[in-house]
Amino acid sequence: MFKKSLALLMMGALSISLLSGCGGAKTPAPAETTETTAPAATTTGGDAGDNLTKSLAVDVSTLKSSDNQPLLLKTEAKEIPARPEDPKALPEEDPLHWYDLEYSGWSAEKVNIPKSPADGSIGKKVTLIVHGDHPYVTAYIKGAQQVATAYGMELNVMSPNFNVDVQNQLVDQAINAKPDMIVEIPTDAKVAVQQFRKINQAGIPLIAANTLPEDEGMKYVIGWAGPDDWGQMRMLAKTFAEKMNFEGGYTITQHAPGGSPYFSRTYGIVTELKKIAPKMKLLDAQAPGFEAEKTMQLTSDWITKFGPELKGIMAADDSAQQIGINEACKNAKREDIIRIAAGNSKVGMDAVKAGTVTAITYQSAEADGAVVLKMAADWFNGVEVEPVRYLPKHIITAADVEQYMPAQW
Amino acid sequence: MQANTENQDVRKREMGKVSSIISKLGVYVLVIALMILGTIISPKFLTTSNFMNIIQAVSLLGIVAAGVSFVTYSGNFVDMSIPCIMAFSGMIAVDTLKYGIVVSILCGLSTGLVIGIINGTVVGKLKANPIIWTLSVAFVGSGFMRWFYSGKQIYPDVNGGAAAEVFISLSRTNVFGTIPLIVIVMIIFMILGQFVMTKTKFGKQVKLVGSSYEVAKMTGINVNGVVSGAFIVTALTASIAGIFLTSLAKTGAFYNGEGYDFNAVTAIVIGGMTLTGGRGDVVGVLGGVLVIGLLSNVMTLIGINTFSQSIVKGIIFIAVVGINARSLRKLGRDDA
Amino acid sequence: MLGRLESSEGMMRDMDTKKILNKLDYYRIYMILAVIFILMCLFAPNFFNTFNIINILKGMSLNAMVAVGFTVVMICGQLDLSIGSNLTLGAMVVIGLQPTLGWFPSLIVAVLAGSLVGAINGFLVAKAKIHSFIVTLGTMTIVQGLIFLISKGSALSVNDFTLADWLEAPLFGLFPPRVIITVSIVLIFFVLVKYTKFGKGFYLVGGNKETAWLAGLNTDLYLILAFILSGTTAALGGALLAMSISSAVPTLGVSSQMVVIAATIIGGTSMAGGTGDIFRSMIAVLMLVVLFNGLMCLGAGYEVQIFASGLVLAAVVLGESYALYEQDKVKGQRPALMAELKKGAL
Repeated sequence: MFKKSLALLMMGALSISLLSGCGGAKTPAPAETTETTAPAATTTGGDAGDNLTKSLAVDVSTLKSSDNQPLLLKTEAKEIPARPEDPKALPEEDPLHWYDLEYSGWSAEKVNIPKSPADGSIGKKVTLIVHGDHPYVTAYIKGAQQVATAYGMELNVMSPNFNVDVQNQLVDQAINAKPDMIVEIPTDAKVAVQQFRKINQAGIPLIAANTLPEDEGMKYVIGWAGPDDWGQMRMLAKTFAEKMNFEGGYTITQHAPGGSPYFSRTYGIVTELKKIAPKMKLLDAQAPGFEAEKTMQLTSDWITKFGPELKGIMAADDSAQQIGINEACKNAKREDIIRIAAGNSKVGMDAVKAGTVTAITYQSAEADGAVVLKMAADWFNGVEVEPVRYLPKHIITAADVEQYMPAQW
Repeated sequence: MQANTENQDVRKREMGKVSSIISKLGVYVLVIALMILGTIISPKFLTTSNFMNIIQAVSLLGIVAAGVSFVTYSGNFVDMSIPCIMAFSGMIAVDTLKYGIVVSILCGLSTGLVIGIINGTVVGKLKANPIIWTLSVAFVGSGFMRWFYSGKQIYPDVNGGAAAEVFISLSRTNVFGTIPLIVIVMIIFMILGQFVMTKTKFGKQVKLVGSSYEVAKMTGINVNGVVSGAFIVTALTASIAGIFLTSLAKTGAFYNGEGYDFNAVTAIVIGGMTLTGGRGDVVGVLGGVLVIGLLSNVMTLIGINTFSQSIVKGIIFIAVVGINARSLRKLGRDDA
Repeated sequence: MLGRLESSEGMMRDMDTKKILNKLDYYRIYMILAVIFILMCLFAPNFFNTFNIINILKGMSLNAMVAVGFTVVMICGQLDLSIGSNLTLGAMVVIGLQPTLGWFPSLIVAVLAGSLVGAINGFLVAKAKIHSFIVTLGTMTIVQGLIFLISKGSALSVNDFTLADWLEAPLFGLFPPRVIITVSIVLIFFVLVKYTKFGKGFYLVGGNKETAWLAGLNTDLYLILAFILSGTTAALGGALLAMSISSAVPTLGVSSQMVVIAATIIGGTSMAGGTGDIFRSMIAVLMLVVLFNGLMCLGAGYEVQIFASGLVLAAVVLGESYALYEQDKVKGQRPALMAELKKGAL
């Protein structure tokens, strides 16, 4: 009756995988194997002291991320222009065409936001729903975990691997577990609206992270914290234009179609350059994915096609895409091409150090994760939380790249 | 009367001539057509540097496809665990760099070898469905890699020492100063593959197993061994390609190699090999790989955007296979 | 001494054993589901409550719907790799057209779009005689490219949540309409394909195409219908999901493909064709969702989920082939006869 024993075997296999799942623990491994300095001042509880006073006393300003930069960066404000009548009617090269994508959340009227219990952050359960697995996200979770540990919060991470349907299920599951706070990185700005609505209706406090949800969705959140992708791209464009002497042809290797960086890292650059360097010309923009060989072929084809007209290349990814671009430029003996990218991975920073890439943006994954958890802790402590927190922008060039090593991911 | 039938025969032969030309040259008809198109589109197409770029860009795919063609030739459709083998071999190679470059490469290759043996045994001896089995290996392997390396990617130069330099330069060295090493490796593999497939006993056995499994078994061939061999060859080529890819990207990551399974099948099928096995050769696979590279190049030169490019690729893919199947039928050889 | 294998009696007992084994094999997916469910109830926190069970049912809706048509295609011995892009097509069309046409008409158009792709697939497979792996891989690439091209890479959404809320909220406190619709379609087609004379034709075509043709069945029609069904249910599943979240993204169906293929195989449909049914495919999808949900409750990350689903798939494949392997070993042998001969020779 080997069929029966087969069924038993399957049960065994499943049980083993279950147990290995248990062994995976609530928080993912990267957080446990953290090599950074331990939180500076964690109140070692044990006594029945006032939770609120203790958590208010926590000082996270001395925490460092693994690239030796401060973990909690000073957040920046952003100037918000007035909304045009119909952004979509404007031409694509007009920055206001992208108003709804870029300036989401400033005009939304909050709905049904739970009031802060203001009883401290120690022991609070926070569920973090990320958008998918990627080394950036791993670093993000690490940063979030650091702040959570400092404030005594319990962090539970869920990942849908970039799948919208799975993330919806995770949202349902998270609601079911009734945590004290949900922090979510939306897989998509539009789908986020319904997800946020559900969480809001269930009465669970919600903070959105990293990816801006559509304006409609901002009604339901306490706040949003993350990088100002559009703003960063505009800064990068300025450096780009300067290096290119405000003229010449350029191409863009785009991010994955469908996500928000696809738009910000293409049109952030295009609209800004149109404004400050009208003589610069966009020759082509393609999405080769995050593969070095494909990007290499694409770049060689560009070099063949455009020849000396091609003076600069912008990469939405400073890792695999950048390698492909650099290899192609080297092979074609076109090291003169000015290269910039959205960063900041180890590969990108190495390239800046080596001089092949002029500038990349600084986007600290760990700080990205840390700032949302700080927002959560502040809210638990009853501190006033502003609706939108932007991470500071910075352009890394060869002059200061050393300060940002070793890379976070 | 006799004259009539003779005329009839001649006419039949004439009709078959076009089909037989297509059948003989196979995919190279498309290669030539694309090259003509390219020359018309742009004067910069017909340059050595352009061609070298194309060949270099598809050499990794070529290495993988040369190996996978054995699995397809043996009638086992495709090996879906290729991306997993590529990523895993690369990561193991990076991980063991501290023991020296030779050890590192050997470890990378043995990873592929082990997976290949597992695949070969299960599909060969137990006759499991190859697509589903290799798919489950891909799942398990992917999950394992993510767990084992905690979701991070690893870098050769972080703790690799001197061997790291060699490793990174693997995909960047040029033989005789002009031709990249990857290209040479691909050409060697193509030649080797063609030789093994057509001139060795093993190759002929694979053909028989692919054409008709039962008949092959009855002639006394060790079908298990043959199928296992095919999967081992595939796994080895995949791990070599994976090591090169990791070297190129300077990063060992679990997402390396994504898409190579379907791309390899595309190249193989465009090259004239039938999925059910027993028909085609490695020269055709080379042609298929060249078509993919040329197509990309020509479309970018024309200025077609990414999305439209995939639409064109899909249409050409179906069209090529359709024409292939049709000409085979016209020649009366469509038993596949 | 009565041996187990003695003459005709032994043969009868052998056949009983075989029957029992076959039944076990048939019901294996239910056994696996039961085992996992019980394990999760015992060990996973927050698992066993109404809200979570409803979540699980909602979570299986998309893939179970897609699996309806896909199972029929597999029963015919073919593959359909375009289900992912078809479901995305359905989702994008229904949301894209909603502002102009309203919910119901755009749903019809979305489903018809899927049927159209299915018809093209079926036609190319049946009439042009190109292998289904190739055809559907090609249409998948084309349709996905079209979706990106037309949507320019953006997601679509509608700002009206009344339908979404209705679809997702439990009806009469029990099951959400979305789940009810999905399960109804599964049941309808399950009965149609497995128990009607016309439906059984699919099994015949899958089992042996030539024989089915000789028996008078219009094999081409069956193949084309199978692919049309696959395209239709995929688009319907995607559209239903989109309606329940009032939005659609162009990369919606990318990962559904592998899950549906795995689930259909685990549910007992063989790639060779001729076996399996739609209901068990749904049970297999349910099993995978229960597994993932439970693992999530236990706090396991994505890597454990994919690892576990790989293990289950591997176990099923191994089990199936081991059974065949054993069968093969004794193929042609007649144990009762051999035993008798041995007795006689002694």
